[in-house]
Amino acid sequence: MSKTLKIDSTIRCDVLIVGAGGAGLRCAAEILERRPGCRIIALTKVPHPQKSHTSTAQGGLAAVDPKDPSDKNLFHMFDTWKGSDCTADQNVIKKISEASWEQIVWLENRGMHFSRDHEGRLLKRTFGGHTIRFGESPAYRAVFEADRTGKGINDTCWGETIKRGICFMNQTIATELLFNGNRCVGSIVFKQKEGSFVRILSRATVFATGGIGQVFKVTTNCRQNTGDGLAVALRAGFPIMDPEAIQFHPTGIVGPGILASETLRSVGGILRNRHMEGFMERYAPKMKDLAPRDMVARAIETEIREGRGILNPDHRIEHVWIDLRHLPHSVHEEQIPEVRGFFQKYMNIDPKTQLCPVRPSQHYHMGGIPTNEFGEVQTAFQETVPGFFAIGECASASFHGFNRLGSNSILELITMGKYAGERVLNYMEDADTDLPDEPAEATFSQFSRYVENRGRENIGKIREEMKSLMTENVGVFRNEEKIVRAIEGLADLKKRAGNIPLSSESLIMNQELVERWELDNLLDLSMVIAHASLNRRESRGAHFREDFPERKDAFNHHTLASMTEFGKVNLGKRSVNQCIFEAKEKFYEKFGIIERRY
Amino acid sequence: MEENYDLTLIIHRYDPDTKRSWKQTYHLNAGRILRFVDLFRKINEEEDPGLAWNSSCEHGQCGSCSVKINGKPLLACELLVENAVEYFGTTTFEIEPLNVAPVIRDLVTDIEKAYKRVDKVKPYIIQSAPLSEKGEAYSITPDEMAPYINATRCINCFCCASACISSHRGFLGPNAMLASIVRLMDPREMEKIERLRVLYSDQGVCRCHSSHACSFVCPKEIDVAHFIALAKEGRFGSKSQKK
Repeated sequence: MSKTLKIDSTIRCDVLIVGAGGAGLRCAAEILERRPGCRIIALTKVPHPQKSHTSTAQGGLAAVDPKDPSDKNLFHMFDTWKGSDCTADQNVIKKISEASWEQIVWLENRGMHFSRDHEGRLLKRTFGGHTIRFGESPAYRAVFEADRTGKGINDTCWGETIKRGICFMNQTIATELLFNGNRCVGSIVFKQKEGSFVRILSRATVFATGGIGQVFKVTTNCRQNTGDGLAVALRAGFPIMDPEAIQFHPTGIVGPGILASETLRSVGGILRNRHMEGFMERYAPKMKDLAPRDMVARAIETEIREGRGILNPDHRIEHVWIDLRHLPHSVHEEQIPEVRGFFQKYMNIDPKTQLCPVRPSQHYHMGGIPTNEFGEVQTAFQETVPGFFAIGECASASFHGFNRLGSNSILELITMGKYAGERVLNYMEDADTDLPDEPAEATFSQFSRYVENRGRENIGKIREEMKSLMTENVGVFRNEEKIVRAIEGLADLKKRAGNIPLSSESLIMNQELVERWELDNLLDLSMVIAHASLNRRESRGAHFREDFPERKDAFNHHTLASMTEFGKVNLGKRSVNQCIFEAKEKFYEKFGIIERRY
Repeated sequence: MEENYDLTLIIHRYDPDTKRSWKQTYHLNAGRILRFVDLFRKINEEEDPGLAWNSSCEHGQCGSCSVKINGKPLLACELLVENAVEYFGTTTFEIEPLNVAPVIRDLVTDIEKAYKRVDKVKPYIIQSAPLSEKGEAYSITPDEMAPYINATRCINCFCCASACISSHRGFLGPNAMLASIVRLMDPREMEKIERLRVLYSDQGVCRCHSSHACSFVCPKEIDVAHFIALAKEGRFGSKSQKK
């Protein structure tokens, strides 16, 4: 006998924030600073906001210091535009870049422990793709907190929110958006610890639910990054913008998926296949192992695909080697100690004497819930949805277009968090508070189905099959035949997911129940990603089609993909904002449709 | 070096619906470099999808997967099978949730309750020092930061709190004290007196037995006991309070 699901209580608040990582927390802090006493409820799926994925960001935070005589916001904007393969929105680029330094100061003043130079100023480092004078030389533009910049952001923003009074609901998921007419008025949420469904009525709702990494077999993302916010928005009829724009880092460490940074190749590391051949010579005779990220990722995938990879028996993951054995002792000790530590800790390998296993690892989703430059969500017809905001990796404004530059993602989190916070306050000025008692039908039919399903399937096994299917067919390399195979495979997996029995009907901390919901989210998103990839018959940024290897002007637009019934994907377009180009000011020609060559 | 290991995992389980606790034994064959989080996933996939456990980043940055294995608090994402076999000298592992908060189900504890102690010390700047110029960052040199920067690496995994031999219920515990000490040493924080009051209260450093268990188990290798010792020595006297 299955339980009758019911709403246990209704809670009213001013702002509901779903997701308490960098973007969600920064947004909350902005609101609370400007309006003390504002009633904010912030949900997080993880046990505590400090456990969010933002905490794992290592490298840096791009921002142009107004005191730096050589760097300018315009150069940062150009790099971001070029990096995006001409698919980022220039109004968003401008807005984020111009606010960047102010945001760094905001974090520093509130206690973030940035690394410093000997005079006590914030230290800066270079990052791939960041240049001064339109590519002339590398820019020292990324401030950082050692190798834990994301943790600094997350901890600082979390501290500010508890200082000013916020209500967190940890281990809680939002399962359904609530509307009054076209106005978003909150969400149905499921509190895992209590096993109860709660209706939260809010004057504004902000989604900041993070990435989708778990779609793929090897990812740098957390276990929790299952694209929940995107799937919930999709089911409510909203589109996902550029779902096919997914960044892969060429060298993830087999097992935890974490990055073996580019430094390994820049200090002389050589990629080798199972025959010990230094294969990059065949793909990039001049640059060899120092070729750009996407080229290296494709070379590694080709080696694996053509049978020259190696299978790790424990993780059942195919990989190639990175050979660091020939490097001098001093390089190991001084230049790559962190990555060396990762290989030692997670693989029990000493890179001084042993080969290290790496393979492309999903890293970042440029696509997401479409918003304008204020974080306001848009429909498939590009109308703003009153009361519904999205920020961070789950959203697409779009700052990154089809390829994200390193150190730009955490900059986006904090700036868009701040902007959305401001916008939420403005919106609430005239938001009516007439909130209906929605019955939560969609959530209950979904969850009671999970509880009632019978059969012999297993969540983990289907999830693993999906990850392999997506990695092999809609990963680094895509072509029509493979994508079609993925679409068919996904339909089959979705059907089989209906035969998963749950071992317990309990609602309290039922990990299986939540994983079942996550599986649906992942399958839905995979389907949308596959269809958008199929439709984009060109290659752009991180989206590479073997059958259409060139970028095409006919595709100079964003994809808007909607799916309210599994497998039936509607595809639309959103034009790319080129306001900097159109303003015709000095250097405007740099913001036209330019080539992405480095 | 073995390629595979036959392991016995004895996992402490708890069912919140029936309030029943029991130990469940799982036998599994696992590759040498699988981590304990991979073993939990393997159990979910092959044997028991109902076993509940926590994790998030799974590479030692978030501190969600802390458990006790054969009595030692550690991060399950950082422990490889072959290292565990070598370290503990056995292929049988008894795994229990950390004893720092009530158990919700199996290995999942209500870590939010343990965090209450961190909240108590106010892990943020209570009162900012004056800025030389508004809109600018504070000037702090690496030498000024060096004494406390290691303490800022704490991820609140609560392994130290679990290993701590102080049995006093009200004790803030090592990681919460560390969070306060960071701000006592941070030149941007003006409010030292309130912090010292909490640190030297009957919930603070006086409950520490100087066993150094916290430093011994810290997955981030922070010398937690060193910072607590500084507090015991009275290094953060109110003379640094400029008002």
